[in-house]
Amino acid sequence: MNPRTRQFYGALGVGRRAVLALALGLGALSALPAPASAQGEKVTVAVLPLSSSAPIFIAHKRGYFSQEGLNAELRSFSAAQQVPVAVTSGDADFGITGLTAGFYNLAAKGTVKIVAAQSREEPGYQLSAYLATKAAYDAGFTTPAQFKGKRVATTTAGSTFHYMFGLLAEKYGFSTKDIQMVPLQDVPKMVAAFKGGQVEGMIAPVTVARQLEAEGSARILGWVGDVTPWQLGALFTSPETIRTRRATVEKFVRAYQRGAADYNNAFNVKDTTGQPGKGPGYDELLAIIAEATKQKPELVAVSLPFIDPQGRLLVDDVVRQTKFWQAEGQVDKALDPLSTVDLSFVNGHLLTQK
Amino acid sequence: MPDTTEAPRPMTRPAPQPAAQAPASASRPVRFRGGGFVAEPRRWAALLAFVIAIAAWEASGRLRLVSPLFLPPPSAILLALQGLVADGSLARNLAASLMRIGVGWTLGTAAGVLVGFAMGIWSIARAIGLPAVSALFPIPKIALLPLFILWLGIGEASKFATIGLGVFFPTVIATYSAVDGVPRNLIRMGQSFNMPWLDVLRKVVLPGAMPGILAGFRISASIALILVVSAEMIGADYGIGAFVLNAGNLMLTDQLLAGVLVLSLLGLAIGTALSLLEKTLLKWR
Repeated sequence: MNPRTRQFYGALGVGRRAVLALALGLGALSALPAPASAQGEKVTVAVLPLSSSAPIFIAHKRGYFSQEGLNAELRSFSAAQQVPVAVTSGDADFGITGLTAGFYNLAAKGTVKIVAAQSREEPGYQLSAYLATKAAYDAGFTTPAQFKGKRVATTTAGSTFHYMFGLLAEKYGFSTKDIQMVPLQDVPKMVAAFKGGQVEGMIAPVTVARQLEAEGSARILGWVGDVTPWQLGALFTSPETIRTRRATVEKFVRAYQRGAADYNNAFNVKDTTGQPGKGPGYDELLAIIAEATKQKPELVAVSLPFIDPQGRLLVDDVVRQTKFWQAEGQVDKALDPLSTVDLSFVNGHLLTQK
Repeated sequence: MPDTTEAPRPMTRPAPQPAAQAPASASRPVRFRGGGFVAEPRRWAALLAFVIAIAAWEASGRLRLVSPLFLPPPSAILLALQGLVADGSLARNLAASLMRIGVGWTLGTAAGVLVGFAMGIWSIARAIGLPAVSALFPIPKIALLPLFILWLGIGEASKFATIGLGVFFPTVIATYSAVDGVPRNLIRMGQSFNMPWLDVLRKVVLPGAMPGILAGFRISASIALILVVSAEMIGADYGIGAFVLNAGNLMLTDQLLAGVLVLSLLGLAIGTALSLLEKTLLKWR
């Protein structure tokens, strides 16, 4: 190697280090503040800092885990895919997040099992919005049924957005192939493509949808919960943990259910006029969620999802999700849909057929 | 000439003076010691190390020492690769990626060589270019993806731009350093002989800078391969990068590594092609 080339390699080393630093930064995760009491059996929970994991934050802050003799440590991740991976690798004992095709692929490998429900799309709850760009809306794209034949922004194949379009297609009698889904990896890039008029529509989280509508670049066509209710997220652990530490899982689910009950008592109430009201502990719980999600309480208040007060699953939908991903060729056909859930920890799961 | 070399000898080698008394040692043959770590071909060593590593990898999977989810054995990766070949998706993904790498790399490299050359020749270009390169090179192109979407849309243009920009800066640096490193006396000699400006550039600077520029190509080709994955984060249906990302999202680790294998084979192929190019272009050495 001549000195000139060597000099050049040296110059490029800076670039390589920058790439490495970026890779490390992407993989980084931050631990949330430790609980007041650090006693009892240690359990680690992988969460995303989103309102849909509110029962965990509430149970943690109000000491429900320590009352069950558990010392829960919350670890915050930045993407839904990382959460089941953390449970698979043993970095976390429990995980709670949205259900994606990646989750079911891990379930097919026998590393994760659902034990309780997280949030779900429910009529009357504004969690995910169908959006059309202003231009597409003016050109006549005014109802969710018209997504057929449109070009839309999504994060990735196998994401919750992909499934919601699948549900929409099924409801209005067309196929996911009739929607041109453009994978853009994350919501900021979806917004960029949407604002730039590169796509005609998308499904977006409520906060993003509201902001885009306020800016005048989007029109909200409807809410996923009203059109196609489904089980958005779940609490899960590894089959190994269920086998060897069954009592721990039972304690954890009990504490989680108390958090879910508090959540519903505070937020899921109607006043005498039928409008959403404020239940006991409203402000305190709102502050807990705001702190955990690092968002302003006002913003949290308008984007609270439906969470079953007892953590009961829409079992039919979990089965439907598995079958959908199998039909899309994203998940191993050999996976038995019911093997992804362990229904023994929560009473009265919501299922219409066996 | 012999006089001048004779004179300093006693000064530089004072030590052997006493030994010079014994005439026998003066003619003693000395074993050649100056090996200088010369590289000799040892093909079998690389092959053997490779085979042992693969065998150990496969065995750890077969013996269930490592979960196939965490580290799919080579057989599973080959099986996944075979599946990709069978359903034609490999060819489709490769074609899409090669087109993006080809166009993006060519655009970025052409611009980079031009700018680097200008910076090597003209002081004003250098004064502007050096700080600009230092300021712009470290910007992670991935962070600019949302902007690229707004500027260039989600079609092929933004993918070319991602690869092209990533390739541009290292090429500028390589070309500039190579031009700067061309021996001054050669250039001065050409100028003294009143060689036309363009000829100095074409017959002295360009050949002199070529080894450095080609070394830059080697780096930038690998960078293009790395960036095709980030480029295909934006709205790509096909492409090796899109395939790898998708397999990662779906936690299909055998397919993920099959895609990575294709990428590294592609790197090997490009490296070999560049070696051939070096051989032909640098024949004069």
